[in-house]
Amino acid sequence: MKKTWLRDYIIRRLLYAIIIAWGILTVTFVLVRIGPTSPADKYLANLAARGQDAAQVIAAVEARYGLDQPIYAQYLNYIGNLVQGDWGWSFSTSMPVIELIQTHWIYSFQLILLSSIFAGIIGILIGIYSAVRQYSRTDYIATFFSFIGISIPNFWLGVMLILLFAVQFGLFKTYYDTSLPLFSLANLKQLILPVITLGTGMLAGYTRYTRSAMLDNLRKEFVRTARAKGLPERTVIGKHVFRNAILPLITIIMFDLGSIVFGGAYLTEIVFGIPGLGRISFNAIFADDYAVVVAITLIAAFLILMINLITDITYTYLDPRIRYD
Amino acid sequence: MTKRFGIRNLALILPALLIGLTLLLDIFVIETIVEPLVYLYIALGGIFIIYVISPLYASRRLVNYYWQRVKRNRLAVAGLGFILFLILLAIIGPFLTADPTAVSFEEKNIPPVGFTLKESIYELETGQFITRTATGDWQHPLGTDNKGRDLLAMIISGAGVSLQVGLLATGIALALGTLIGVISAYFGGKTDNILMRFTDIMMTFPFFLLLVLIVFIFGANLAIIVLVIGLTGWTGTARLIRSETLSLRTREFIMAAKALGASDGRVVLTHLVPNVISLIIVIATLSIPGVIVAEAALSFIGLGDPAVTSWGMVLRAGQQTLDTAWWVAVAPGVMLFLTVLAFNFVGDGLRDAFDPRSSL
Repeated sequence: MKKTWLRDYIIRRLLYAIIIAWGILTVTFVLVRIGPTSPADKYLANLAARGQDAAQVIAAVEARYGLDQPIYAQYLNYIGNLVQGDWGWSFSTSMPVIELIQTHWIYSFQLILLSSIFAGIIGILIGIYSAVRQYSRTDYIATFFSFIGISIPNFWLGVMLILLFAVQFGLFKTYYDTSLPLFSLANLKQLILPVITLGTGMLAGYTRYTRSAMLDNLRKEFVRTARAKGLPERTVIGKHVFRNAILPLITIIMFDLGSIVFGGAYLTEIVFGIPGLGRISFNAIFADDYAVVVAITLIAAFLILMINLITDITYTYLDPRIRYD
Repeated sequence: MTKRFGIRNLALILPALLIGLTLLLDIFVIETIVEPLVYLYIALGGIFIIYVISPLYASRRLVNYYWQRVKRNRLAVAGLGFILFLILLAIIGPFLTADPTAVSFEEKNIPPVGFTLKESIYELETGQFITRTATGDWQHPLGTDNKGRDLLAMIISGAGVSLQVGLLATGIALALGTLIGVISAYFGGKTDNILMRFTDIMMTFPFFLLLVLIVFIFGANLAIIVLVIGLTGWTGTARLIRSETLSLRTREFIMAAKALGASDGRVVLTHLVPNVISLIIVIATLSIPGVIVAEAALSFIGLGDPAVTSWGMVLRAGQQTLDTAWWVAVAPGVMLFLTVLAFNFVGDGLRDAFDPRSSL
């Protein structure tokens, strides 16, 4: 009974994800097509600047992008190529976009992972404490700082951290050093400022979400029952309140990933010169390298789609209340 | 009732006339090149009068009651004060300060009032490094950047840009989000399904990356940036308004309107939308900071309108001169931060005031 129900749900959810993925591809295709300049124009302008023969270049570009074909064929080609893993050619770096992404994704990943750990642990702990001691002095201070953390634009925070700790005090280098091995203390050290930059807004958000999720559950009757049974406060908070608060918390944290974290990481990478996906998209913008900019937006959207899918399925699996809707 | 309709009709006719007139001027009198933003201003102004000013005016007692509740939140009042100050600064400031784009290399890197800076500069005539001491004076209260541009003038210009983008883009996003949300909930079924699936698709795009992509494709221009933020930022609003409308849809006054033979358009525009106005006002105040930061971030990475001086652009210039002129990076960020904080405080205050459960 339970097994078939869950399987049906997963299949339905997967089909739905495929529809959304198709929608994402279509929206991007339409955007690129209705734009005032076509990818070929930008490509051409760039090649013409290097003094190559125009006629040859036009033929090559049109064949490369399939611009000589009717629009529905272009559309089918576009989707077909992406599905088969051909994400286009980056002329500014002279390599396939997919290879570019394969060499750079790790930098974005380490930044987002470390920031999430930093923000998650501290934010959730402060949030729990704040909720348990509601209206205490600590609660007020935490609320105040979470307000500031949410309001501070992260790219400015990054610039200020560089100004203070790198330029004035000289504790850090002002620029990210790619020659350091990824798994080394020196690399970890140079990620401190970027992680604070990206993590502060996340931390403030997590503190607020945890606090309100905990407060929602603290007022429930089963908490009173647990206390009446004489359970120690630790168990009441840890087992009864927090366990119930964690599910909505995870959903909201996953939702933040798309709206706040990816954009924040993009800017953080630019501020600190970390060669992640945000930074290569930024470089591609100024090189008019169409394929890269489109590909990175697509990848971020697909990641969010996948994360949402996994969150939804796990949520349904873990929370028996949803299953009978 | 009749009085309210007077204002409503006026608010409908006046912007339409103004838009028509501006359009005619724009097309036939070649000398007046009207900025595309002007049309947006007029159209959104009309919507604002119909759906915000006129209902607020019609229910002055309620407004007074809510104002008493908001007033008790001191942070919200402070935030409101700062926003009013910013609006005044953006309107009056440009007349009082120098041209923010005026370059003067004799006056470069002057620190703000109260700061002195020693820097060694290379002198062409002698070929030697000399130490120059620059002291801030009241001619440039916030100092100048490495091209000698007055920082105060740039900040004031940026305030105007940020407010314009914030208000206009939020206006578009809210109008669109409300319409989609209300229509989705009111008609339900297939309409709801299609609109909400489209909302899901738009929500799956990371907001800032989508902005970057579209501005990259269509070019960096203030009107385009406003439109793009407006046309992509409506998703959250649509969802909130939809769920609010779903609970309104079955209420008696809607059924009564339908029973009296009101058309769907009339039910949506005169019965449903006015009833979600308090929610819209809260969403508006809480979305403006996000929009302002998004614009600043776009300018910061070099995708802003190069024709206007915005905070993001000044910050971008400031990051490149952190070791020689730190104040250039500090000032625009502080303003940005305070603006965001102010709108967040006001939005929170309004939300609490409108929430009947909160005991203020």
